[in-house]
Amino acid sequence: MANAVAIPASHEESEVITKPVGNHAAGNSRTCDTTGLPVCLTAQLFIRLNAVLGVVALLAGGIAALLIALTRWPAVHLLDPVWYYRLTTFHGLNMLIFWILFMEVGILYFASTTLLNSRLFSKGMAWASFVMMVAGAVLVDVTILGGKADVMMTSYVPLKAHSNFYLGIILVAVGTLIGVANFFGTLYIAKRDKTYAGSVPLVVFGATAAAIIAVVTLLHGALVMIPTWLWSMDILKEVDAGWYRLVWWGLGHQSQQVNVCAMVSVWYFLATLTTGAKPLNQAVCRGAFVLYILFINLASAHHLLVDPGVGASWKIWNTSYAMYLAVLASMIHGFTVPASVETAMRKKGHNRGLFGWLAAAPWKNPGFSAFFLSLLIFGFIGGITGVTLGTQQINILAHNTLRIPGHFHSTVVGGTSLAFMGLAYYVVPLIFKREYYARGLARVQPYLFAVGIVLMSLGMSFAGSYGVPRRHWDIEFTGAQFAPGFGSGAHVMLGLMGVGAVIAFVGLLTFILLTVAAVFFGKKIENRAMTPW
Amino acid sequence: MPENEEKAAEVFAHEHEEEEHKTPGTVVLTLALLISFAVYYFANWKALADVWHVR
Ligand code: HEM
Ligand SMILES: [Cu+2]
Repeated sequence: MANAVAIPASHEESEVITKPVGNHAAGNSRTCDTTGLPVCLTAQLFIRLNAVLGVVALLAGGIAALLIALTRWPAVHLLDPVWYYRLTTFHGLNMLIFWILFMEVGILYFASTTLLNSRLFSKGMAWASFVMMVAGAVLVDVTILGGKADVMMTSYVPLKAHSNFYLGIILVAVGTLIGVANFFGTLYIAKRDKTYAGSVPLVVFGATAAAIIAVVTLLHGALVMIPTWLWSMDILKEVDAGWYRLVWWGLGHQSQQVNVCAMVSVWYFLATLTTGAKPLNQAVCRGAFVLYILFINLASAHHLLVDPGVGASWKIWNTSYAMYLAVLASMIHGFTVPASVETAMRKKGHNRGLFGWLAAAPWKNPGFSAFFLSLLIFGFIGGITGVTLGTQQINILAHNTLRIPGHFHSTVVGGTSLAFMGLAYYVVPLIFKREYYARGLARVQPYLFAVGIVLMSLGMSFAGSYGVPRRHWDIEFTGAQFAPGFGSGAHVMLGLMGVGAVIAFVGLLTFILLTVAAVFFGKKIENRAMTPW
Repeated sequence: MPENEEKAAEVFAHEHEEEEHKTPGTVVLTLALLISFAVYYFANWKALADVWHVR
C-alpha cells in the first residue's frame, strides 16, 4: 500500500490504521493522538503542501509590506516610485490572494475529511489544484517583479499588464475551484458512505458556506479575467472599464466573504480546541452563515460608491438594506463565539464577576490569544470602520484615502491572517506532527502581530481622515508648484502607521521563522499527544 | 495532557446537544462594541456635515 506522505511509514506514521475504516482504505488514515480525530493521510499531505506554500506567499508579501510601509512613512520614504507601485501590486496579490487561498484550500480539505471522518475525494484533483495554484502564483510574481504588471492588485482596465499576469490569476482561480470541487466531492462521499451521524459540525457548515461563496466568487473572476486576458493579447479590442469594475468586485468583495466565513470557522474550531467551548445555538449560528451566502454578493456595491457608472438607488439599496443583513451575520458570530467561550469557562468554575472567565482564559496559548485578538480586532476595528465606510454619504469622505487600507488591514490581516496563524499553532503539531521550538516566543507572537496591526491600522485610518490618499508614492508632492497641504497631524498618523508596520512585520517574521523551524526541524510527535500550549 | 484538545473529538460529536447558558460578560462586550460604533458613526456624519454644508 503506497503511503500518502513522502516520509516512509515506519518512521512517522506510527499510529496508522492498517485496516480499512469508514471509507478510508487500509493504511491511509490515522487517529490523532491529541484530539482523537481521524486524519486522512492524503488530505494530510495536501494540508501540509498548502500550508507550506501559504507561508511562502506570506513571507514574500511580508517583505514587500515592510518596504512599501517604509515608503508611505514620509520620514523614511524608502523606495522609488516604480518599486513602490510594483511592490504594492506584489504585496496585494501575495497576501490577499496566495497566502489566503492556499490556507483556505487546506482548511477545506481538513474540515471535510477530519471532521467528517472521511477520506479525501480525489488525490488527482488535489494534485491538479495544487500544481495549478503554484504555477499561477509563480507566473504572477515573476511577471510583476519583471516590471510587466504595475497595475495594482485590482488591475483596473484600461491599465494593461502582460498577458501572463492575467493567465497566472486565471490558473490560481481554476486551481482553487478544483480544490473547492474536491471539497464538495468529499462532502458527497462522506454522506454517501455514512461516515458521520446526524448533521455536519458547525465548522464544516461554515466551511461549506465559504466554499459556496467561493464558487460564485471564482465564476465572477473567470467572467472578468478571461476577456481581460484576451484583451491583453490584442485578441479582444476593448474591455469596458465600468463593466470591469462592476464584475471585478464580484470577485474582490466576495473573496473577502470567503475569508470571513473561513475565519469564523477557524474561531469556532480554536475556541473548541483551546477552551473546550461548543456552539451555543446551532440554528442561530448556521442561520448566520446562510445570511452570508444570500446577501454578500449585493454588498460588493460598497466598492463602487463613488463610481459614476452606477446609479444612486442601486448603490443605496445594495449597501444599506442588503449589506446590513450580511453585517448582521458577522454580529451574530461576533456574539456567539465569545459567548461559547464564556459558557465553557464558567462551566469550569471561572465565575468571578463579569470578566473572570476572560481573565482566566488561556492567554498564554497562542492558539487562543491569536483567535481572541483576531475576534476583537475584526469586530472593534474592522467591523466599525467597515460599516461606516460602507455608508454612501460617508464614503465620499473616505474613498481612495488611507482609511480604506486602514479598514481592511484590520479585517483580513488583524482578523483572518491572525486567526490563521493561531490555527498554525495546532496544524503544525497535529498535522505535521512536529513541536514548536522557542515556545515562549510563540506565546508572545500573536500579541506582537496584533499590536503592530492595530497601530498601523489606526495610523492609516486617521491619516486617511486627514485626506492622505492610498496608493500614493509621495504625499509631499516634492518639486510641485503648489503646497502639499498635509499638516503635522497627518504626519504623526503616518508615523504611527510606520511604527505599527515595523512591529507587525517583526510579528509576522517571528511567526514564519518559528513555523518553518518547527515544520522542518521540530521534535517529532509520535504515539503521544502534543505538548499542550 | 492537553485537556481541552483531548476533548475535541467528543465536543464535535456532541455539539448538537444544547445546554443552559448565561453570558453576561459577552453581553457587556457587545454593548461596548455597539457604543463604539455609535460614536464613530456619529463622528463621521458630523465630519461630513462640516465639509458639506447644507443650506
Ligand atoms: C506586516 C504586515 C503588513 C503590513 C506592514 C502591510 C502594509 C501595507 C501597506 C503599507 C500597504 C499600502 C497602502 C497604500 O500605500 O495604499 C498595503 C496594502 C495592501 N495590503 Fe498590506 N500589510 C501587511 C499585511 C497584509 C496582509 C496579511 C494582507 C492580506 C491578507 C494585506 C493586504 C493588502 C492589500 C490587499 C493591499 C492593497 C494593495 C493595493 O492597493 O493594490 N496586507 N499593506
Ligand atoms: Cu467589500
